[in-house]
Amino acid sequence: MGRSEHDDFREQAALYVIGSLPLAERTAFETHLSGCSECASEVRSLLPVRDALAMAVPQLEPPLGLRDRVLASMGGTSPLSSRSNVVVLPPRRARLDWLVAAVSLAALLGLGVYTARLRDRVSSLSEELRAAIARADASDLAVADARRTAADAQASVAVLSAPDMARVDLAGQPPAPRASARAYWSRSRGLVFTASDLPALPAGRTYQLWIVPAGAPISVGLLRPDAVGRATARFDTAADIPQPVAMALTIEPDGGVPAPTGDKYLVGAVSSH
Amino acid sequence: MWILWALIDTSGRIRGRAEDRAADEEALARAGRGEASGLADLYDRHARPVYSLALRILGDSADAEDAVQETFSQAWRQSKRYDPGRGTVAAWLLIIARTRAIDRLRARQARPDSTPTGWDPTSIVDTGAPAPELQLASAERIARVRAVLNELPFLQRVAIELAYYEGLTHTEIAERLEQPLGTVKTRIRLGLIKMREALTGIV
Repeated sequence: MGRSEHDDFREQAALYVIGSLPLAERTAFETHLSGCSECASEVRSLLPVRDALAMAVPQLEPPLGLRDRVLASMGGTSPLSSRSNVVVLPPRRARLDWLVAAVSLAALLGLGVYTARLRDRVSSLSEELRAAIARADASDLAVADARRTAADAQASVAVLSAPDMARVDLAGQPPAPRASARAYWSRSRGLVFTASDLPALPAGRTYQLWIVPAGAPISVGLLRPDAVGRATARFDTAADIPQPVAMALTIEPDGGVPAPTGDKYLVGAVSSH
Repeated sequence: MWILWALIDTSGRIRGRAEDRAADEEALARAGRGEASGLADLYDRHARPVYSLALRILGDSADAEDAVQETFSQAWRQSKRYDPGRGTVAAWLLIIARTRAIDRLRARQARPDSTPTGWDPTSIVDTGAPAPELQLASAERIARVRAVLNELPFLQRVAIELAYYEGLTHTEIAERLEQPLGTVKTRIRLGLIKMREALTGIV
């Protein structure tokens, strides 16, 4: 049985959901979608992924003045929230102190039994708050970690979307005939390098990537493949390096060297634009 | 003493997700009637994720602020277009924010507008059960979603990021990465399907 038109449409559901279908294809897909429950359900099942992408960015507080600007767009002045009858909590670190102070004040006022009950309530509340703060601190750490990875991924995407990006394909050399790699280099934003089928490194050795201009090679950075020989890395490069003619990956002593000494494992010519 | 009681009341109460949804829908309805308090509530509850997404896409805080303003402005003007059966108010706001931000990005780059304004898949998928919920973003949940994205093979992740955060079409991505169109389409599709599996139980 050959591929039907429906199969083609079904494959487009993912592209449609994240908004990467060009206009003509998008219109055709929507026409198909209105009469195809299978494609509609495929689209529906992918919506949480799109929503997750919207959330998977480093979370930052909006600037302070923005709230007033947004509210001014309605033509009124800045109102308080409708929940303004609820006391706005101070930052979490201050809460416990405040509670303790309030309890002490109640004791000073000689409120006896009432104060004792309140103290019990406050002490269990303090426990809850402490636990909540501990959880918040743990997730702050997770967020810091995610933010670092996100920043790195974002820097890679920045290279790939740079107006001055050049692509360089590197081919395996005699020590690694099956290896191959691709470098995406932007003079303004850095270099993204992705390699596959690199031989495992012997102890005390590292791969080192070089940009080769007409003169002496310039070190880009060090690289270690994973268990199956793949390596992906992003490097910053100086904006003023001379126009390269080639890129090369060599094997070098741990820690790298100022000028290449080892065998070339990958080499690729840089076409001049 | 009222301060203390108010404190105990707000701290002791755990707001449920259903309660959050209902509060969002109620605030949106008020905003739609032109009540500034409704818009203020929506802003206070969602400005952070909306601003963060706009900033990720535009990379410039002045541009991101403009996009946030446009997002909330569009939300209250078009509040009648929101359909609770198709997703949460939070998700709806983020869809608007992404569209507004990508429009700005394209205008800035003078790129032809190949995915038109107002693109919103939820607007036509209205058969079947209500769309799965996007919950209010907790820091923990965001970190887990990010981890799922980072576990994708590098080029799948890059293709998805170029599509979603840079607003590139599949053809533009293929040109940018100098890779066959079919490969790019497959990478995006496989990546999203992997994310869908990994996200089960997270969002």
